Amino acid sequence: MIPITYWLILSFLLFSIGAYGVLSRKNAIVVLMSIEIMLNAANINFVMFSSYYSVLHPTAPAAQEALGQVFTLFSIAIAAAEVAVGLAIFLVVYRRYKTIDVDKINILRW
Amino acid sequence: MRTTVLKALSVLAFALLMIGAVLQVDWPEWTAEGDANITNEEVGQAMFGQGDDQGYALVLFLIGLLLLVALLGGIFLAKEEEKE
Repeated sequence: MIPITYWLILSFLLFSIGAYGVLSRKNAIVVLMSIEIMLNAANINFVMFSSYYSVLHPTAPAAQEALGQVFTLFSIAIAAAEVAVGLAIFLVVYRRYKTIDVDKINILRW
Repeated sequence: MRTTVLKALSVLAFALLMIGAVLQVDWPEWTAEGDANITNEEVGQAMFGQGDDQGYALVLFLIGLLLLVALLGGIFLAKEEEKE
């Protein structure tokens, strides 16, 4: 069994890579991809803590043990919705300004 | 260039801080009798079961509806404007 600290370190590293991408990259699509990486770090935490809970509480009901996985499914669905709306917004912004550089899109009006 | 290095350093500091905090915690050991492998059946029970702490499928359906609305909104936003 892989120790819980390894999973947490992997999760924090993924989160940090995503955060660096959000802070430093200018292409809006790359920023969206970085946000997805950060969401996946949170998903790893959900699944890992759920497995950990089921190991520490062997007599817990099966549904309680799988709660982290179910929340991960919700999170993936929300991420898909977020990307759909984000890409559509960037498409419109590109038509308007001919760029998706997040440093140049600095006004929230058409 | 300088701001990029500053951002990288701040993110690295955050990662190191969090990793240090995790390493300081005395996590309970995995026990031999516990089973860490969650099966698809257990996930299905959590989502479609009839118990008090089961039945999360309705929420997933609502999120599916949200996804559908988001996709329709995305298509509406991305639609070409008609020329008059």
